[in-house]
Amino acid sequence: MEISNLPISPSLRSKLLAKGYTNLSSLSPLSPSILAQELSIQCEEAIEILRAIPHATTSKNAYTPHGIIPGAVTAWDMLSEEQMQRHISTGCNDLDTILGGGIHCKEVTEVGGVPGIGKTQLGIQLAVNVQIPVEYGGLGGKAVYIVDTEGSFMAERAYQIAEGCISDILDIFPSNSREFLSCKERLRANNFLDGIFYFRICSYTEQIAVINYLENFLTQNKDVKLVIIDSVTFHFRQDFDDLAQRTRVLGGLSLRLMKLSKTFNLAVVLLNQVTTKFTDGSFQLTLALGDSWSHSCTNRIILHWNGNERCAYIEKSPSLPSASAPYLVTGKGIRGINSNFKRARTMPS
Amino acid sequence: MAAKAPLEEEDTKPQTLLLTGILSNTYRACINTAAPSTAQNPHVTEDFRLPWLTGMELLSDTNQNKHFLPTGLQGIDALLGGGLREGQMTEIVGPSSSGKTQVCLSSATYVVDKKFGAVLYLDTSNSFSPNRISRFVNQTHPSLPKEEKERRLQMIMSNIYCQSVFDIFSLLDLLHHVESTLKHTVKLGGSKLCLLIIDSVSSLIAPIIGGKNSQGWCMMASVGVLLKKIAYEHNISVLVTNHMVGGENGTLKPALGESWKCIPHVRLLLSCCIGANHSTATVLKHTLLASGRTANFVIHN
Amino acid sequence: MANKLISQMGLPPSLSHVFSARNILTSKDALSLPELDLMALLDIDIASVRSAVARISEATCPPFQTALALMEEKMKSGGYLSTSLPGLDNALCGGIPFGALTELVGPSGIGKTQFCLKLALLAALPECYGGLNGRVIYIDTESKFSSRRMIEIGESSFPQIFRIQGLAQKMAGSIIVVRPTSISEFNDSLQQMKLTLLQNEVKLLIVDSMAALVSWDNDKGTSSSRLSPLRGSLSFLKSIAEFSRIPVVVTNQVRSHSNDESFHYIFQGHKKDTSSSERIESHLTAALGIQWAHAVTIRLIFEAHSGHRFIKVAKSPISPPVAFPFVVEASGITLLNQEGFGVAGSEINAIRCQGLIFGKCNIASRLLLSVVFTCSSYT
Repeated sequence: MEISNLPISPSLRSKLLAKGYTNLSSLSPLSPSILAQELSIQCEEAIEILRAIPHATTSKNAYTPHGIIPGAVTAWDMLSEEQMQRHISTGCNDLDTILGGGIHCKEVTEVGGVPGIGKTQLGIQLAVNVQIPVEYGGLGGKAVYIVDTEGSFMAERAYQIAEGCISDILDIFPSNSREFLSCKERLRANNFLDGIFYFRICSYTEQIAVINYLENFLTQNKDVKLVIIDSVTFHFRQDFDDLAQRTRVLGGLSLRLMKLSKTFNLAVVLLNQVTTKFTDGSFQLTLALGDSWSHSCTNRIILHWNGNERCAYIEKSPSLPSASAPYLVTGKGIRGINSNFKRARTMPS
Repeated sequence: MAAKAPLEEEDTKPQTLLLTGILSNTYRACINTAAPSTAQNPHVTEDFRLPWLTGMELLSDTNQNKHFLPTGLQGIDALLGGGLREGQMTEIVGPSSSGKTQVCLSSATYVVDKKFGAVLYLDTSNSFSPNRISRFVNQTHPSLPKEEKERRLQMIMSNIYCQSVFDIFSLLDLLHHVESTLKHTVKLGGSKLCLLIIDSVSSLIAPIIGGKNSQGWCMMASVGVLLKKIAYEHNISVLVTNHMVGGENGTLKPALGESWKCIPHVRLLLSCCIGANHSTATVLKHTLLASGRTANFVIHN
Repeated sequence: MANKLISQMGLPPSLSHVFSARNILTSKDALSLPELDLMALLDIDIASVRSAVARISEATCPPFQTALALMEEKMKSGGYLSTSLPGLDNALCGGIPFGALTELVGPSGIGKTQFCLKLALLAALPECYGGLNGRVIYIDTESKFSSRRMIEIGESSFPQIFRIQGLAQKMAGSIIVVRPTSISEFNDSLQQMKLTLLQNEVKLLIVDSMAALVSWDNDKGTSSSRLSPLRGSLSFLKSIAEFSRIPVVVTNQVRSHSNDESFHYIFQGHKKDTSSSERIESHLTAALGIQWAHAVTIRLIFEAHSGHRFIKVAKSPISPPVAFPFVVEASGITLLNQEGFGVAGSEINAIRCQGLIFGKCNIASRLLLSVVFTCSSYT
């Protein structure tokens, strides 16, 4: 049975099984040439088979704490790492508080809500806030924004939000302090816009391709700290007919995103649409893509209307209790209820 | 031919006689053959096969070695008759946000706290939260002085190992590695491994099953068999989580289908009622106890 | 991009042959399958599958730009169709954006068609007068298009232009009206139009109205089956907007709430909607459902209450929720207040229809319109 789990091509696998090799220990003492002769295959293929066998540790003295699994870390080491980790502010203090500081890196966060509630606004705000320089309490990283329609990401809006963010920073930090002078030049809205990489996708094939390509891209652009996909649902709902296959493809996609966020230490934010579902005798709003997708994220935040207020509710999180926080969408971006601003009647053009 | 130790005492109780009459052997003997050389060496089969055990020996092994590991959540421990059994695979299934990861984190904390051994946590969705573990630890003994708390925290958290796994081949590699390491080394940095958690195994398996070829089902069965083998031979408890998918009429059913249903020894269904501040666990399957019983449990923040 | 051929992607020849032998010709075929399926289908090991998929993905991936480059590009090429209503243009930062779907939703007779007629006119105007100097395709599913009304709007709004000899006829000639009677005809005409759009300098596409195409019978089948003919049209419209970089304006109708509606999530519990402030949406909601609502970029709601009509910017990436009171006059729609009123909360999504007594209006009853409107302000 163990042979059938090897990640080799099915025909090589069946040749092995036909010759009677069923478990890994029967293969390991063999050399490539003997194996090639036995199975009547090329030597390269024999080498490939032997390479695919997981190499067990033979050291009897593996008393080191990491001896049992290479790469495992203890929770104690992770704790100190986690405490030093900076989070991406959302712009709204209340929301940051219930999130434990902001959006976490190394995690995949899903944000869902009805149309018009502010998901794209939150996405753009995060893409701007991730770039706040380290000296001002931010991450100083760049952002990748993957958008499904040309219209939802408007560069002019990103410019406004960047300007709003900069003006808030300059309000908080005194501008004449010497250590801030050097990075003050970087605080220009154009620089913030330059730090957002924008991909526009037109079909689910391109969406899968971008996510696959991101591994390569992120290796070349190591300062990216945030990947936003707006929205992850649209094309999959439209064009994918075979629902079972869609579930499997989405499952693979979510694992890949998890791996990206962990490997490159960045935050992945997925914006999702809502649909109605019949549960417990009535129709309820729920996020799109079904029950199988609902477990593919680390955290989930739902933006909803609570009377006349916009609220963000943490629906799923491994470490944060469920809580709700109100927020506003203003001319400068996402802000909290108590923040100081004038409610603009119209936008300056 | 079986090497048997004689029974230590004469016992004529019916149960004992029945157990003595049952000879058991594990599945391993059936598979673990080196086929190419069997023909030449008829005795090799004997060397690879595990010894036969009588029912009494099995019972004593179970009583001595297969302890119950507490999850730290009273309702669930009571429901399971003590906790997670070593040597068995327990599955927790439930809809999103029903508390599966919380049960896993709580179990990891309590098992180390009560000094049963070390814990290996395989995480597929970056949900392992050291912060949450530290809060669980502080809940156990809230009224300790600060240095004592710090020391306990370090001691407990140094015995929980976490590794991220993102595809099925890595999982199988990892499990083979664990198995062979456990064969050769017993200690893990001072403590013996006693609990292996995979959260969640369904997100690794769901993308590979359901296609036209049966390779995916085969790998799922292998994972199940490998986990149970590790559990049995090294007295480890395996805890896995599973999610739910839509069934007929809009109801939810556990993912991974009918073939997976028989693999775990114990299955618990979690559900969370809105408005109530407790969650409910229902036994779907158990080796010893009746199924269908429910219990409420509370996860404190 | 999805239909890019694998044979042209520079894979090693052995792999390339294996893909084509198994009839996986485009990147869509390859990327729609999970890894294990590809392994089994192509009979290769996982490492080769992964490297092939990585190569295919790299070739299929769309090019990226920085947001700064995007903004600069947009500033150069212009990106908006001005609506000639200064308040609305300010709110939308220029007007109806190119390359995106703008939706007008409201009860019958409130003025959506009037707005569309004005937009068509504005797009057809020569550039020196502020227009786009292009052709307009007007898909009219309810036979509401009236060229006489359009000329009347033109004469009232731009009297000096329309006195120029022949300009009116030239402009009328550049507005193409299509009248499909079923959704398949609609899809067919869109397909034919794709070529026309690229060749003939079409600068605006108006669909008036989308909802009429879908037959609302009383069969409460699953909403997905009712809307599935629309899905193809939806993505097609979006792709037209993107590729041709033109504004696409779609009108939508309203319908009353059915029992399928819900506005609450599971975690919000089962609230009993006794207070009227909770059910702000009253009895009307936009037709075509929530999936359509997600797909449009800008939603302008036309509603009537308290004796006035309002245009509300309900969904927009760039504008706060504002409402402008308006009237319908000879020259089309005119805003009564260029500043607009900020609208708090979920009220921005409400559609109210109080005070509209009649259904459609045509040019003959334009006088009647103003009389009735004055009367309705007393109701």
